[in-house]
Amino acid sequence: MGLKKAFLRLATIGLGIGLMTSAALAANLRVLAWDGYADADWVKDFTAATGIGVDVVFIGSDDEIWAKIKGSEGQDFDVFAVNTAQLQRYIKADLVSPIDVTKLANQKEVLPRFRDLTAVSGVTKDGKVYGIPFCFDSIGLIYDTDKVKPAPTSMSVLWDPAYKGKVLAYDNGEHNFSFTALTLGYKDPFNLNEQQMAAVKAKLVELKRNVLSFYTTADEAQQIYQNNDVALIWANYGQQQVKALQKIGAHVAYVNPSEGALAWLDNWVISKGVRDNAAAEKWIDFMLSKKVGGELSERTGFGNTVTETGSAGGNDTLVWLNNVEDPLKRSDMWNEVKATP
Amino acid sequence: MSEAGSTQHAERRLSLLVTVLAFALPVVFVLVPLAIFLGYSFFSVDQGTIVYGLSLGNYVRFLTDPVFLPVFWNTIVLCVSVAIICILLAYPAAYFLTTLKGRWRYALLMLLLVPLLMSYVIKIYAIRSILGLNGFLNKALVALGILQEPSTLFVFNMNAILLTLTLLLIPFAILPIFLSLERIPQVLLRASDDLGASGLQTFLRITLPLSLPGVASAASFVFVLAIGDFLTPQMVGGISGFTFGRILYSQFGTAYNWPFGAALSVALAVVVIAAILVGERFGRNRGTSV
Repeated sequence: MGLKKAFLRLATIGLGIGLMTSAALAANLRVLAWDGYADADWVKDFTAATGIGVDVVFIGSDDEIWAKIKGSEGQDFDVFAVNTAQLQRYIKADLVSPIDVTKLANQKEVLPRFRDLTAVSGVTKDGKVYGIPFCFDSIGLIYDTDKVKPAPTSMSVLWDPAYKGKVLAYDNGEHNFSFTALTLGYKDPFNLNEQQMAAVKAKLVELKRNVLSFYTTADEAQQIYQNNDVALIWANYGQQQVKALQKIGAHVAYVNPSEGALAWLDNWVISKGVRDNAAAEKWIDFMLSKKVGGELSERTGFGNTVTETGSAGGNDTLVWLNNVEDPLKRSDMWNEVKATP
Repeated sequence: MSEAGSTQHAERRLSLLVTVLAFALPVVFVLVPLAIFLGYSFFSVDQGTIVYGLSLGNYVRFLTDPVFLPVFWNTIVLCVSVAIICILLAYPAAYFLTTLKGRWRYALLMLLLVPLLMSYVIKIYAIRSILGLNGFLNKALVALGILQEPSTLFVFNMNAILLTLTLLLIPFAILPIFLSLERIPQVLLRASDDLGASGLQTFLRITLPLSLPGVASAASFVFVLAIGDFLTPQMVGGISGFTFGRILYSQFGTAYNWPFGAALSVALAVVVIAAILVGERFGRNRGTSV
């Protein structure tokens, strides 16, 4: 009997503690982010500065973010990070709330290209701002400074017969069609008509004949670079890839092509189910501080929107990645390019 | 009495359970997934979502589109070549093993099989470094004066796939050939010798015919493993080494065209099953005539 009583008491205490912690959690800001976007020391600083507790959940893929946010209709999180290509889908599904930019003091201090948000494709809709740019990287060109002279300025160098068999390209139809469209001077590389598609395909067949191989991971490209005579790499992994190559002693440099470099851009957004809008705004503003931005680039190698980094110079043209007209068609046509003898 | 009865009862129940499991496992883990796969090959994709309506569209596309059949055919030719080269290299090796005595024979066999313990991907990476322009093979050929300068003949093309697959799959050819050679009764060889046949005659008229079942199963092993591989072509095939496995693989990534991928897999499965049947039939016929 005594045992049973003790057991009951223990259960009551346990329940009490459980309720207390869930009450404490209820006041916390709930953040969903990629690894590297909400490091523990920043969270600590944020809590110290604002008195707002934070619970961070990390995600590993775009699909996972969608599953988590859509699954709870936005009720499970206050703030989360998505890229520009994905954001429109969330706006359409009514899962995010518009953001009052005047509440974000640090947004006035960001790099010029991110100051006017209506000029950043994908973050606004009907005049309302839904995403605050935070982190980005361009997909530029890595070149071997000993072999490629003068320094290239355009992706068209990949077609230069002087580098036949010394070019590493990336094995992905979607991106290859987009960047080739930019090289051909098409305005919207993500929405190509039949004629443009055919022209891009012909151009890619030409590219293929100048290429040594197609790679998929950054490691793979590095290994091929080490064992072969490689002069140019289409750098899907941007700054991370350059730095890794420089680390092993390669004489390489990075350039964003003059016709515009494809680039991904991650944004902070406020979910529809936000409990405390002011706290969410404070989080975003904190993330836009020079300190966090600088540390983010230092730790991850990505560009941030507040301080200058190697990802893009002030005059570089960046073309934010967007959904393409027909991914299936691009993938099929990419196979046709690869199958062309 | 009752205790013995219940043990008997329990035993019977156990054996029933084992029987059910023995049938259930292959059904659940092999037949059902294959059936689902077959089912998927009749669906289609519209705007990134799978449409669950039955159609033969995927098969029609496979047979009529100018891209797929040539690649499919080239891949089959490639894998038959791999099988032939593997056999030509593995046969002498296996034959040599059977001439060894006692423990040496098995120690050496184990050594030849050791590469199977290593990760497949790591082996491909290693071979790719060896074949590269600054790789071991080129350096050696240049040092020996066979080549004037490093050649790109060995990497990122069909040759590279052929070489890599052969290297990777040779153990699978050695083993069955070795086993069939080892099973040949020594008395037959001695009788042939007694009757005045030369070594070559004995080999051609006794050893070789009796080892053909092993050769047949080795060939079908290697062919099946080679044709199902997409990783090796993907990593060493470069721009000209485009194989069926790579097309298949691409249907499941960014393309998200599972139904078409399933239809291509069915086409591949037909060839694989045919290869296994041929290998097995050929092997068994010769085997029973001993």
